[in-house]
Amino acid sequence: MVKFTAEELRAIMDKKNNIRNMSVIAHVDHGKSTLTDSLVAAAGIIAQEVAGDVRMTDTRADEAERGITIKSTGISLYYEMTDESLKNYKGERDGNQYLINLIDSPGHVDFSSEVTAALRITDGALVVVDCIEGVCVQTETVLRQALGERIRPVLTVNKMDRCFLELQVEGEEAYQTFSRVIENANVIMATYEDTLLGDVQVYPEKGTVAFSAGLHGWAFTLTNFAKMYASKFGVDESKMMERLWGENFFDPATKKWTTKNTGSATCKRGFVQFCYEPIKQIINTCMNDQKDKLWPMLQKLNVTMKSDEKELVGKALMKRVMQTWLPASTALLEMMIFHLPSPAKAQRYRVENLYEGPLDDVYATAIRNCDPEGPLMLYVSKMIPASDKGRFFAFGRVFSGRVATGMKVRIMGPNYVPGQKKDLYVKSVQRTVIWMGKKQESVEDVPCGNTVAMVGLDQFITKNATITNEKESDACPIRAMKFSVSPVVRVAVQCKVASDLPKLVEGLKRLAKSDPMVLCTIEESGEHIIAGAGELHLEICLKDLQEDFMGGAEIIVSPPVVSFRETVLEKSCRTVMSKSPNKHNRLYMEARPLEEGLAEAIDDGRIGPRDDPKVRSKILSEEFGWDKDLAKKIWCFGPETTGPNMVVDMCKGVQYLNEIKDSVVAGFQWASKEGALAEENMRGICFEVCDVVLHADAIHRGGGQVIPTARRVIYASQLTAKPRLLEPVYLVEIQAPENALGGIYGVLNQKRGHVFEEMQRPGTPLYNIKAYLPVIESFGFSSQLRAATSGQAFPQCVFDHWDMMGSDPLEAGSQAAQLVVDIRKRKGLKEQMTPLSDFEDKL
Amino acid sequence: MEPDIGTRYEVPRTAEFLRAGAYTRVALQVTRPGPSLFGSVLPFSSPPLIHPGLFCLKFPDEMLKDAAAVARALRQELASGGGGGVRVFVMADTAYNSCCVDEVGASHVDAQCVVHYGHACMSPTSNLPAFFVFGKAPLDVHACARSMLECSRKSNKRILVLYGLEYAYALVDLRRSFEESCKSNSCNPEVQYADVMCSVMSPSSSTTEENDCHLSSGTSCNGDLSINSDLAALNNRCSIEYSSSTHKCSLGGVTWNISVQEKMEDNFIFWIGQDNSAFANIVLTFNKCEIVRYDAIQNQLSTDVSHLMKVLRRRYYLVEKAKDANIIGILVGTLGVAGYLHIIEQIKELIKAAGKKSYTLVMGRPNSAKLANFPECEVFVYVSCAQTALLDSKDFLAPVITPFEAVLAFSRGREWTGEYLLDFKDLITSEKQEAVSATEEARFSFIKGGYVEDNCAQENVEQSETSLALAEVTEKALSIQNQNNDAVLYQGRAMSSIDYLKARSYRGLTGEYEGPAPDSILVGRTGRAAGYNDEKTQSAQ
Repeated sequence: MVKFTAEELRAIMDKKNNIRNMSVIAHVDHGKSTLTDSLVAAAGIIAQEVAGDVRMTDTRADEAERGITIKSTGISLYYEMTDESLKNYKGERDGNQYLINLIDSPGHVDFSSEVTAALRITDGALVVVDCIEGVCVQTETVLRQALGERIRPVLTVNKMDRCFLELQVEGEEAYQTFSRVIENANVIMATYEDTLLGDVQVYPEKGTVAFSAGLHGWAFTLTNFAKMYASKFGVDESKMMERLWGENFFDPATKKWTTKNTGSATCKRGFVQFCYEPIKQIINTCMNDQKDKLWPMLQKLNVTMKSDEKELVGKALMKRVMQTWLPASTALLEMMIFHLPSPAKAQRYRVENLYEGPLDDVYATAIRNCDPEGPLMLYVSKMIPASDKGRFFAFGRVFSGRVATGMKVRIMGPNYVPGQKKDLYVKSVQRTVIWMGKKQESVEDVPCGNTVAMVGLDQFITKNATITNEKESDACPIRAMKFSVSPVVRVAVQCKVASDLPKLVEGLKRLAKSDPMVLCTIEESGEHIIAGAGELHLEICLKDLQEDFMGGAEIIVSPPVVSFRETVLEKSCRTVMSKSPNKHNRLYMEARPLEEGLAEAIDDGRIGPRDDPKVRSKILSEEFGWDKDLAKKIWCFGPETTGPNMVVDMCKGVQYLNEIKDSVVAGFQWASKEGALAEENMRGICFEVCDVVLHADAIHRGGGQVIPTARRVIYASQLTAKPRLLEPVYLVEIQAPENALGGIYGVLNQKRGHVFEEMQRPGTPLYNIKAYLPVIESFGFSSQLRAATSGQAFPQCVFDHWDMMGSDPLEAGSQAAQLVVDIRKRKGLKEQMTPLSDFEDKL
Repeated sequence: MEPDIGTRYEVPRTAEFLRAGAYTRVALQVTRPGPSLFGSVLPFSSPPLIHPGLFCLKFPDEMLKDAAAVARALRQELASGGGGGVRVFVMADTAYNSCCVDEVGASHVDAQCVVHYGHACMSPTSNLPAFFVFGKAPLDVHACARSMLECSRKSNKRILVLYGLEYAYALVDLRRSFEESCKSNSCNPEVQYADVMCSVMSPSSSTTEENDCHLSSGTSCNGDLSINSDLAALNNRCSIEYSSSTHKCSLGGVTWNISVQEKMEDNFIFWIGQDNSAFANIVLTFNKCEIVRYDAIQNQLSTDVSHLMKVLRRRYYLVEKAKDANIIGILVGTLGVAGYLHIIEQIKELIKAAGKKSYTLVMGRPNSAKLANFPECEVFVYVSCAQTALLDSKDFLAPVITPFEAVLAFSRGREWTGEYLLDFKDLITSEKQEAVSATEEARFSFIKGGYVEDNCAQENVEQSETSLALAEVTEKALSIQNQNNDAVLYQGRAMSSIDYLKARSYRGLTGEYEGPAPDSILVGRTGRAAGYNDEKTQSAQ
């Protein structure tokens, strides 16, 4: 049944101009996987009849069950185009065979990391937008991500069938809806001006927008219709295309094109007249079973149906007719081949984004030219669990050179530093494989410009890596991916039977590998922690862990836990002092909150330990009102030397101060990691060293005396500066009809959420609601929302910011105090906080 | 008072031991007891009499007040038995742990043997023979027997009775009482009582020590303390059927047999004593067994060992953390326990094989200030006796782990299976580990949440280990300035303390002088400070 063989596929891999690497991205439930099916069907992997129902790329049982995509799945497809259809193609090509490496990615925001991984190894993106719901949160997020990676987008307005069947929209209204969808998408794309990538906006009249009905397997671009009508009107296709979109009206009565609606009853917009109405007519005829009318119409359109298909009725007939008339694959493929770049083209400008090293070295040049004879440069973007338990395929893209079975390669991990041996391995590739949905084909080698899966490297790659030839020791790695979500929700897992511990450990290792986002760590108390982007993400991770990676051994999962941050509200009420254990050294300190926005600036890396002091002092003095000299006296950032807290030296003329700097910083790194309240990380605190008294004898002011003292004085100054807890807050976006709003508000209120934007989507009865919701309250939020709105509202939550909790954790009985007690209990600490008197000393 | 002291401190038996060994110089070591081991604690009235010329009394804390009396009683007892001329010294305040025999302290007075009073961990000594007086804590045997019966009803496993050594004297009574209550309740649960290993210990190599102890327990354990022949018979009853197929377990000074087919999990452990380090040792070692504790002071059972399980989980975390460490400090926490030098060597080897750097530090009992003097060490391995091995505090800059945990952490491919050992002598026997299991897979760090690469051993060898290494690196310090010092100092990127030093912003006196050459030597002033010779001549003028 498969129309092509692995050999054919392999042959086309060498023709770098005839390859398209593309990902399908969209908001959840806008029909990515369904649409992908149509394409897969055209390649002959699944039967045309079931296209739209199989969801070829949803390979996991739970994906099929939930009807959502969880993992991005790659599939390599082979098409043979006709000379006729390619006659307008201006770019370079090499024969009529095309290879499309397509990656279907999940739309749920919890799995954004999968999208990130997919985008890295593709050059173009098919953005799918529901014609009714329009551009949603996730559409926007992934589109921005794609543009950031210099991925060229094309758009398809999907679910056209809803217009015709469900909503019965009139032509003009439909046009307005579509153009608004396209407009919205273009607004986002327009913000990315990139001279190398050029104009990335999409235009129906240029053929970069398609209209599709994934479920029914049909789609069209204006090109299809332009071809049909061009000869009839005696104009060329491009002219015709322009007339089919925008302010172009045609009056069949006068047979004249105008740029304004003349007001006559028969005068209609070109798009409505020539595209929308004919489709509507066919669909209605099919749905009403008016076969006597249908056959002549089809004949006019040159559509021939097989005899058994003529027996179909109603929806099935309609589906079949539309598929034959406007097959989705033809329209979409043509759009991709014409408008998405080939690797040869894309790598010319993407090399800047990709390569970390100098852009004029041999590796950058090889990537730029997509040179199959150059040195191997391959980026592994994700690990895919293989059918034999415990093993993984390393899935990625060859940017230059070729990777072959048995080849010895250098693996550079994310922590690799050129010239050092850290995170570097030399191993041989056991097998190279190309991915075709549910099955894989082994091939001898894979040249640049293609996606590839490799066997035998999984033990050396956690999540991603750069791979080069064994001898290329001076190659720099390809830049690591940046994720748009962060793992904020955590659960502790332990095994039911103590002796299963090794299984759990092994399972966690594998889980960490299989998912680009999940974080498997261990708490101070010895509990294993899994951190994910959201509730759904965690749920999937836990399921994978237990069923696939631990062989079904039972685990106990704690309720979800959220990590907090500790901060201060004001400047310390007094300068606090602590004495060293030998009482001979005294440190005086004060804590104060960092200026607003400074913690974020440190998070974003705009300010950090590696800055040029001059630049840093400029930013600090201009944006945050710091004294210029003071900005030069920052001793360090923490925790982990880069965190959003700092120590500033405010003392004057202290002898030996330079000797204890390292010790104070060590104490600060320690203390800022485990705050005084609940041993959570500190955030947004500036510690000012006010004065220091040191013993004259060096032996009495060593690290042993100063490090514990610095820690104590930092805690004391934190506690005297009105300490507060910061909790993580989600940005929630919900789309729902008006009648569901009451329910949404109800649930949000109940969960301490607050709405800050409510907007009706123009032309639809739908409302867009944006709200802030504390992460700790978000557990069960989706299901409660569904219950309260009878399933009409579906939230998308993304971590947004840290929010200060109003109540005072030092005041017994307050909400924050209770939280502190809970955290301490969970961590196995004394429930009572250590009192200030234990940290502060009196003269 | 005198006769009371005699029985409480078992003076006659001690004297008998000393006479048998013909010791002439004896050190008495007294430890912090349970509050009622040796009778009620009296307020400390006057400082103990110290007469330096004859014998040195050094008793710690509460028991110090009795020290003089005990020493006097002992000398009288010895003199009356014709063993005059024995010199008795009293020691207190050991440098390490009072549960171990302080051999170093005893050597200061050239003692030939040590009499150890109070709670003991029974770690084997390396040089001196020791005699232990455990004391006697009050135990309500009937209440205890009732509790045992209760437990035997709840569980169908065999009950293994373990106890703090201060309760050893009551075991015979307990057994009798339990058997009586069994008869009256017409049930016959299977019970095994652990045996006190011995109350005499001779210095020995680890291989022969077991025989020695056994022998000595047979010969010299008698009188009021001993768990003598009838208990031995009891023991035999359990092992008689398969005497060839039993193996001996011992922990914290008590010993028992279990058959080869059985696992420790098949036993139900009944512990008599306080919730102290000895109990922690039992719980952690047999963390898979059901354990109840009979609190002899409150006369009640407690089944809650969750706090100790928490400790175990915490230890697991520390092992994970230790895996990430590059620089390891070995803390010498004992100078007496047999085999301590051997285990230190073994750990050094282990660390070297793991491609890490180790430094051996002797600092007495560790505290946070002492440990923070070595900020370059990311983890410390504390070599000490089993009952003081667990050292954990929020105030420590770096975690402190036991030798067993070090073995788990530094041998690649070793997984924590739940088994846990506190006593390092069990490690010595299991030496010659499979030489770095050849799984070449990168190591997954749960602290960092990803794979990390440990530098392999060979690489480490390349580094010059000469004394000039430090000088070489500090010379080059300028050229590697752009390296991220913060990461080296605070995130454990240093590979050795040389790396650490060169990353520090202050490296002490650098020895860089301004002038190109040192000044030539000049003749200084002579005479006294009141008036130097040259000054005198000036004044004379």
